[in-house]
Amino acid sequence: MTKIRDSAIRIHDVLLVLLILAIGIGFSYYVVNYPQDKIVERFMSYDKIIMALTQHIKIVVISSLLAIGTSVPLGILLTRPKFKKFSPRVLSIVNIGQTIPSLAIVALFVGILGIGINTAILALWIYSLLPILNNTLVGIIGVDDSIVEAAKGMGMLPKRILFKIEIPLALPVMVAGIRTAVTINIGTAIFAAFVGGGGLGDLIIAGNNVNRWQILVLGATLPALMAILSDIAFGIVERKTTI
Amino acid sequence: MIRFDKVVKKYNEQDQPAVDELDLHIGKGEICMLVGPSGCGKTTTMKMINKLIKATSGKIYIDGKDIEKVDPIKLRLDIGYVIQDTGLFPHMTIAENIATVPHEKGWDRNKIRNRVDELLELMDLDPETFRDKKPKDLSGGQKQRVGVARALAADPPVMLMDEPFGALDPITRGKLQDEFLRIQEKIGKTIVFVTHDIDEALKMGDKIVVMRDGKVVQFGTPTEILSDPADEFVSELIGGNSNLKMMKLMKCRDIMREIPYVDNATTSEEAIKVAKANDVNNLLVTEHGQKLLGYVSMGMLFKNEDKRVEEFVKQIGETVTPKTTLQDVLSNMFALGRKTIFVSGSKGKIDGIVTMDDLLKAVRDDDQNS
Repeated sequence: MTKIRDSAIRIHDVLLVLLILAIGIGFSYYVVNYPQDKIVERFMSYDKIIMALTQHIKIVVISSLLAIGTSVPLGILLTRPKFKKFSPRVLSIVNIGQTIPSLAIVALFVGILGIGINTAILALWIYSLLPILNNTLVGIIGVDDSIVEAAKGMGMLPKRILFKIEIPLALPVMVAGIRTAVTINIGTAIFAAFVGGGGLGDLIIAGNNVNRWQILVLGATLPALMAILSDIAFGIVERKTTI
Repeated sequence: MIRFDKVVKKYNEQDQPAVDELDLHIGKGEICMLVGPSGCGKTTTMKMINKLIKATSGKIYIDGKDIEKVDPIKLRLDIGYVIQDTGLFPHMTIAENIATVPHEKGWDRNKIRNRVDELLELMDLDPETFRDKKPKDLSGGQKQRVGVARALAADPPVMLMDEPFGALDPITRGKLQDEFLRIQEKIGKTIVFVTHDIDEALKMGDKIVVMRDGKVVQFGTPTEILSDPADEFVSELIGGNSNLKMMKLMKCRDIMREIPYVDNATTSEEAIKVAKANDVNNLLVTEHGQKLLGYVSMGMLFKNEDKRVEEFVKQIGETVTPKTTLQDVLSNMFALGRKTIFVSGSKGKIDGIVTMDDLLKAVRDDDQNS
């Protein structure tokens, strides 16, 4: 009966993280220290990379937190008996947000908010609502009815059923939704550069303008590595919350 | 203890009611089995007791109190609830699962811990081994035991059990049924037990409510249901072999007859007189009215007419207990190749005797009632 518990953190995850960090740092080091010519030398510095990186992270973190902060409560609310009937409608509305191409959303918000980092954050926020909302709904609705009924039949208060039974059991699915949203956001945040929001997209634009592949590829590689890192991190969280 | 007064449940205004004008009275300490085919309203009936389903009209009283006036949460905390798939919380340990209701009631930690251990022991689960396990580490039977323990945690006077043993294999089910009956003898709860298995109902129930289309077809003890089915539907539900099923229900003590004792020095002639006077075919033989030596039968007495009984007394051999079912008595008789068997509740003491004729009579008697 007893079995050794799987640790949520796996050895190949650790190795992969080290490899990714090595690639990211190594490539940055190469571009900065061995510039192809004066143009690259003038354009690239550690400060610039770090600034683009922190801006990128800032956009992703703020937009994702906003999305979690709105989608999770909304999703929970839509599973309560009173509001359950609205859930298909709300889902379809949010779905529309997802069907619009991400660049279009970013562009659309320029019309409303002008250019800048806020526009980028708002667009990403809208864009990542759906996966989190969807998974919150699916996760909570997917909790075995007999478990909820047992809890209810034993006299647990609805609030306690939600926090002690439904949310803990739905958590892996909810985390999976957040994982998807954040991973998408890391990629989509590149578009922030097009509306003056900064981020690693700046490197791509710059690399393109001066026609230097190192700058462009670095701007594309770093978000990709970030996405993989976040995926690994959320994978661990997901496994930790799975019973 | 629990009383239904013209209770109706309609899920849809136009539909035929799921439960129709139900009147029912369940006594304190009784196991009341609700039995019937799917959709007969048995589960609805049960769930109305803890207000998981609200009655459309009519009243339900628990201990004389109209449950409509009791807060549902309060009501449920005092009613144990066991369901088929156990409904154990998979993310909690066994101890946490069992502690659910005490926790909701705000017991202190030590009291809860002691109660959990006590219940695990009652359920024949070693607390050290099981306390910190998760439900997924348990077998089906163990899970169901935990489910029952959880329902018993705060010692509620009433328990609702919705096909608790339905998902188990027949062997485990039988074992858990026996165990539960043994526990119930100690705790004496008022239990409403839903099942679709008439054999389970007959075995476990003090009273059986046979339901169909939201109505009570028959309400009675298992023996009453078996010997006098109200209609075709009930007979069909019982199925064939009602006599054999009856034998499973009846115990030795219901039909055994006492037998007179004679002293070892009695002569055959006198012994025959005693036997005839008491209208029995067997006599027990004691040594000076003290130690039990064995028995003599009418046949043996006639064969040894001029002797004293001590010269040909026979050993008692295998016995059964007063609690043995008639089915087991019969099977014992077949195994031993005998038409009579002695009943002994304690060692060295014979309470009575059961013969093949007694068995036939017991079953036939009930037949004639119908």
